[in-house]
Amino acid sequence: MSTHSLTKATLRAEGLPRRRAVNRLMELTAWLAAAVAVAILGVVVWSVARRGAGALDLDLLTKPPVPFDFGSTPSGLSNAFAGSLVIVGLATLMALPVGVLVAIYVNEFARPWVRTAVGLALDVLNGIPAIVIGIFVFGLFVTGHGQSGYAAAFALACLMLPLVARSTIEVLALVPGSLREASLGLGVPRWRTTLSIVLPQTVGGIVTGTVLAVARVAGETAPILFTSAIVGPQLHWDPHHALQTVPVAIFELSESPDPSDHARAWAAALVLLLFILCTSLAARRLAARSRAGIVSSR
Amino acid sequence: MNRILAAAVAAAFMVTSCALAVAAPGKQSSTTLTGAGSTFVDPLVQQWVPAVAQAYGYELQYSPIGSGGGVAAVSSRTVDFGASDAPLSRDQFGACKGCVQIPWALSATSVIYNVQGVRNLLHMNGATLAKIFSGAITSWNDPAIRKLNKGVALPDLKIATVHRSDNSGTTFNFTDFLSSASPQWRSKIGTGVAVSWPGGTGSRGSSGVAATVAQTPGAIGYVDVAYALKSRLTYFAMQNRSGKFATPGLKGILAAASSDQKPDGTNALSIVDPPKKYPLAYPISTFTYVIVPLQSQKAPELKKFLFWAVTKGQKAGPRLLFQPIPKPVLVVAEKAIARIHA
Amino acid sequence: MEALEPPRLAVRRFRAGDLSLQTVAGAAALAAAFLVCLIAYTIVRDAKPAWSKDGLAFVTRDAWDPVKHVYGAGSFLFGTAVTSLVALALAAPLALGVALFLTELAPRRLRGPVTALVETLAAIPSVVIGLWGILVLGPILRDHVEPALHSTLGFIPLFGPPASTGSSVFTAIVVLTIMILPIVASISRELFLGVPGELKEGALALGTTRWEMVRGVMFPYARGGIAAALILGLGRAVGEAIAVTQVIGSSVGIHWNLFATGDTLASKIAASYQGAEDGAQVASLVYLALILLVFSLVMNVSAQLIVRRVARRQGIGAARA
Repeated sequence: MSTHSLTKATLRAEGLPRRRAVNRLMELTAWLAAAVAVAILGVVVWSVARRGAGALDLDLLTKPPVPFDFGSTPSGLSNAFAGSLVIVGLATLMALPVGVLVAIYVNEFARPWVRTAVGLALDVLNGIPAIVIGIFVFGLFVTGHGQSGYAAAFALACLMLPLVARSTIEVLALVPGSLREASLGLGVPRWRTTLSIVLPQTVGGIVTGTVLAVARVAGETAPILFTSAIVGPQLHWDPHHALQTVPVAIFELSESPDPSDHARAWAAALVLLLFILCTSLAARRLAARSRAGIVSSR
Repeated sequence: MNRILAAAVAAAFMVTSCALAVAAPGKQSSTTLTGAGSTFVDPLVQQWVPAVAQAYGYELQYSPIGSGGGVAAVSSRTVDFGASDAPLSRDQFGACKGCVQIPWALSATSVIYNVQGVRNLLHMNGATLAKIFSGAITSWNDPAIRKLNKGVALPDLKIATVHRSDNSGTTFNFTDFLSSASPQWRSKIGTGVAVSWPGGTGSRGSSGVAATVAQTPGAIGYVDVAYALKSRLTYFAMQNRSGKFATPGLKGILAAASSDQKPDGTNALSIVDPPKKYPLAYPISTFTYVIVPLQSQKAPELKKFLFWAVTKGQKAGPRLLFQPIPKPVLVVAEKAIARIHA
Repeated sequence: MEALEPPRLAVRRFRAGDLSLQTVAGAAALAAAFLVCLIAYTIVRDAKPAWSKDGLAFVTRDAWDPVKHVYGAGSFLFGTAVTSLVALALAAPLALGVALFLTELAPRRLRGPVTALVETLAAIPSVVIGLWGILVLGPILRDHVEPALHSTLGFIPLFGPPASTGSSVFTAIVVLTIMILPIVASISRELFLGVPGELKEGALALGTTRWEMVRGVMFPYARGGIAAALILGLGRAVGEAIAVTQVIGSSVGIHWNLFATGDTLASKIAASYQGAEDGAQVASLVYLALILLVFSLVMNVSAQLIVRRVARRQGIGAARA
């Protein structure tokens, strides 16, 4: 665009009113898109909140389900909440150390081509649909041995690993090289440097990544369908058995003809949603704070 | 400070779950019997769960994933027993590697419908039903339906057929009946735990079908009659070979069961669409089977449970429209249970 | 802080510790790479009875008949393609609009809350959206939206007679749109934030309207990243099994009526795998999973490659809000 003198005549000659109109239209469209997105979110969250809150009571967490009952005896989903706690906890225990170790290797020890290869493997793992992971774990651990909480935890760990590894890699990369060099220069061995000097700087980022990964897998249904879904109504904590989980319970209740089942599904969905929201928000606050911490300590 | 707090919370969470998982071996180490399969027999089995716990202290865990799933699960020894309404084929017996099939309950498949203002127990026959599910009849006020229900005001409402999307013994029972009543159905679509349905909506499990029918005006589906009762859904009175319109009650089921009292070599019985001389018979009745490996680590507990199920357990049936299994079949069942060994 | 030790002993101790950490960490990295290969191998191996018998004809065959033992992925591939692509077409303009709104138009006070809201939508588990789809969205679409669209636009085969149950391809499309929207929106937002201020201000200084600046500067600058975001969103839609199987109605057959029932690859696997009873059916379902795996691998890897090329071009460590 050439530099004309900016008089009204020149601008009008270049069709400014039309351009302004188009601009206005586009701005309105963007506002509208944002409004639609907010409305959709509002509707979904409001639905869950309203119906869930109506059905939420302590029974949900303390009483086991009474199947095929149509609401005549008070029932809840205690077995699902217990099972979810155990399975997600086990998955975290499996994924966290491996993820951190992978990140340490990639960041501290690996040659460039190894770095790309492992990075690619992690990205590929991240992109595999959860249901394919479920079939994989079923073929590996369940056929011949039976379903168990361990198999389900392993499946969830496969989903968590790339998230934990990636966020740890990012946070490790933020630690300045000068810190490492100073430590090595003082005679501290490489392994000690990594574990005692570099890693503590990244705890915040690791926790953030783990918490985000937990929030992601807490609601996963597909891999658990094949690994820990043949369950009875009794309350169990032992992961050698198949354990009921909250997302699978919601899935099964959503297809029931019984309105009291629907009510329990909404209530469980509300609890699950609140858990995921709180952990996600806490993780993001932590992320911002820890990143600021590392940047400011440079 | 916040970082340390967060790390502490995360660590506490992990440690708690780990400790709970390791230190708490569930409730008392009572024997757990796991089973999976037929949604048809699920109402009855769920009645058995507290009763068996009380009688023997066994913890019964049953998951209604459909008959096909039950057969697959017991074949891969993922569970201790499977439940199927469809008798096993020779290939399935082979895949199961030494399993025995035992009839342990008897009930009927009701054909449910959802039409406002219309009474329960409308009349229906197999040929018309086959036309409905194959898409030849699409509206409730079709002449064929009106002919069967003279004097009933049927609305001009589109029929929405609902079938099972998973492998289901109830589907086997239902399509067995349709094949028997309609040669076109038999040649084009046939009988199976899952068939190539020409249209309609698929829902998971009997409860899925019941839910879809309950929420859809004009829908027709098929579920074990216990689900129809519990969901308070209306169902058809089905015409049998003698021309009478039979209801899926205990009398109708018992009459149908008398048409085949001799289980074959694999203990299977076929009582679908019984001949004319059983005028009270409800034509979509079926036995349902438990599939057990002949050799099992839990043999003593399984035997106790199964003996109980086919005798005392049958008492819980009539309330849910499960007819206690007839004496000749009971004898065969008990002989088969006795063969299970450790 | 180590005291000074005789160099010989110190070096040996250093090496042992270093070697251990390197070995353990290396083993973990190897395990991660091995896991990916194992997954691919297991899926290919378990699908072998199906692909060795049918080969590639399976991929296009439109049949799923367990009685006659004829299986094919054609109907489900079609369903996956239709649901994912239409959902992407609906979600993309909305998502880009939201991203533009958040970076250019929103008053400062609104930016934080709306961003948080969008990211919250991304965190809702698919089973909850499916629950909402069955009990809330399905009946609304069945009773109001689908009949209205059918009566006005029914001459187009896409808007044929509605299925009576509320489960339909259209319901699945709406559900998938809701799931893709936040992913594309948040990635696009970060991309737009990364556009260098000088470029934007330069264009504005030359007298462009804001829209012309967006069209002329921001979109071209971010187009690689937006492409990657769209591909990632598409990958999410293709792999979604649970929410889709809850609302799509599970039927086989290729048809163009959005208001009828249908099925997708992932949804079919979720519905049928647990109950598959004979080897041929199991192998066919794993073959479906193999097709799904290949699809999502191709999409994910291409998205990552684009992102990496863009990141290299723009410099790593672009300012984040």
